[in-house]
Amino acid sequence: MASITLKNIVKTYDGGHTVIPNLNLEIKDKEFIILVGPSGCGKSTTLRMIAGLEEITDGEMYIGDRLVNKVAPKDRDIAMVFQSYALYPHMTVYKNMAFALELRKVDKKEIDRKVREVAKILEIEEYLNRKPKALSGGQRQRVALGRAMVRDPAVFLLDEPLSNLDAKLRTEMRSQITRLHNNLQTTFVYVTHDQTEAMTMADRIVVMKDGYIQQVDTPANLYDHPCNMFVAGFIGTPRMNTIDVKIAEKGGRLFAEFDNYSVLLPERMQKNDYLKSYIGKTVVFGIRPENLHANDKYSDSENTNKIDVHIEIAEMMGSEIYLYSDIGGVNIIANVPSNKKVQSNSDVSLYMDTDTIHLFDKETEKLICD
Amino acid sequence: MAKKHKKYFNKSLKNYFPVFLLPTLIAFVIAFIAPFIMGLGLSFTKFNAVTNAQFVGFDNYVKIFTDPNHDFLNALIFTVLFTVVSIVTVNIISFAFAMLLTRGIKGTNFFRSVFFLPNLIGGIVLGYIWQLLINGVLDIIVNSDITKSSAYGFWGLVILNNWQLIGYMMVIYIAGIQNIPGDLTEASAIDGASPAKSLFKITIPMVMPSITICMFLTLTNSFKMFDQNLALTGGAPGKSTQMLALDIYKTFYGRIGWAGVGQAKAVIFFIIVAIIAFIQLRATRSKEVEQ
Repeated sequence: MASITLKNIVKTYDGGHTVIPNLNLEIKDKEFIILVGPSGCGKSTTLRMIAGLEEITDGEMYIGDRLVNKVAPKDRDIAMVFQSYALYPHMTVYKNMAFALELRKVDKKEIDRKVREVAKILEIEEYLNRKPKALSGGQRQRVALGRAMVRDPAVFLLDEPLSNLDAKLRTEMRSQITRLHNNLQTTFVYVTHDQTEAMTMADRIVVMKDGYIQQVDTPANLYDHPCNMFVAGFIGTPRMNTIDVKIAEKGGRLFAEFDNYSVLLPERMQKNDYLKSYIGKTVVFGIRPENLHANDKYSDSENTNKIDVHIEIAEMMGSEIYLYSDIGGVNIIANVPSNKKVQSNSDVSLYMDTDTIHLFDKETEKLICD
Repeated sequence: MAKKHKKYFNKSLKNYFPVFLLPTLIAFVIAFIAPFIMGLGLSFTKFNAVTNAQFVGFDNYVKIFTDPNHDFLNALIFTVLFTVVSIVTVNIISFAFAMLLTRGIKGTNFFRSVFFLPNLIGGIVLGYIWQLLINGVLDIIVNSDITKSSAYGFWGLVILNNWQLIGYMMVIYIAGIQNIPGDLTEASAIDGASPAKSLFKITIPMVMPSITICMFLTLTNSFKMFDQNLALTGGAPGKSTQMLALDIYKTFYGRIGWAGVGQAKAVIFFIIVAIIAFIQLRATRSKEVEQ
């Protein structure tokens, strides 16, 4: 059990390419933290630095209270699950799981007890004498987890462990890993590019881009209060709709104007003094697809939140329908319950739930208010 | 339609199968099978020209093993000893070079080419070059030359063989090592393996197919060595550094009336090489399945 502290961590490769310019992060003991971001954002590099597989160019890294910058991977009390599983192909499942304990000269009986105990938890007992090539992807994945578990490490590091599985298995393994975390009560650091995995499993999510941390927060807070346009767009599927609007003041009230529409901003924004400095300026208006309703009960008192759109495509998803339309050249997606029978190539009125909107600065892409 | 056409084409091609095979078959029979069978026949005869061969039964074979000088047996022992030492040294050194040259050190490509070059030089040339070198060194250190002691000759041959084969084996080992996923060595580092443990528990088992290939290549190359032996020591002193191939050659061409015995030695040599090749085939096959 251990916390992890990254202080002013810098990673520069030979040849001068800097992937992590300056990273600060506190990971609490027993926390399940997920690093998420597009490829090349530095999330895997960060994980590999925690593992000790990548040298730290500058800054300090602590596992617990111990400075680990110069500590070899084997002495960090960590275990890692790789995307490729990295099972030793010439060893049986049993040997794969026992390898780390054998290297630590643990008593043979104790090794046997541990391996069998973990194999039982992961339901891989019957494969113990098989070699990895004789296992399916999901079974290999479990062996990789088991190899990490037998060691009782202080920290679990998982590098895109579900990426090589098919969609169905991925969903299954997601809940299994969450359960595992709950049972083991150990710090988990997990890297993925899949925001669904991040949202469903993490205690806290670290959203990264170009080597910088964009935001660290709980899944719910990230979703409801993204700090900038990148986080807003990255978290949530389908992604948040963003429209360029002009902030206008009419009769002492603030409106967001675009195309032929003028949407009355909600009460909390009316009181926002900072927003008033944007009057007459263009800002980015963000609204999530599920906050665009096809039901007129969501109409505001003056009906300013209604937009009339032509639905180009209606995608039936089962419990919901995705409606694709276009306002002044900007693609808009609405996510409505499937009991609303909307067809492709039809005209509908959508009502914006203005209580849930976000306004971003167009230049800095930072949140103005939400 | 296209499928039907393809089927027809395949069928008609199959009918012509023997015709396509014929040129190679004729060449193989004329250049290989016929001489081989004739040679086998000649090993049971006494001859000085192929046309005047007289059948002598197993006389030639008996002569090989009753020869008071034990030429063939000595050559066999020397060859086996030389082969065993070569297998060990060539493979250890070439594997070490391969490990060094897969670490991303600067100039890796240059060194890979340099180490491979000796393999491109012919055996006779190599033999004479190394004779000059070794004699030069022996002259300075012990005031002697390679023909004065069978130990000099033996180790001279080992050095030459190593120098020639290491580059080639190294290339095979490099390919094997590069095939090991980087994840595996990283996983073993996290599991707690020291570099030495990682080498013996991960790297070597993972390159086992390469090791098998290289061991057998060294085995056959060393066992069948001829021109380097001829050029470097010529068998001297006496016949003490004479390997099997050179012994056969010298029996056949060097002793009047012993051509048939040389032929019989060649047949035995063939049987030994065939057994090695057969074991090699079995060994590499089973490794392939293992992978």
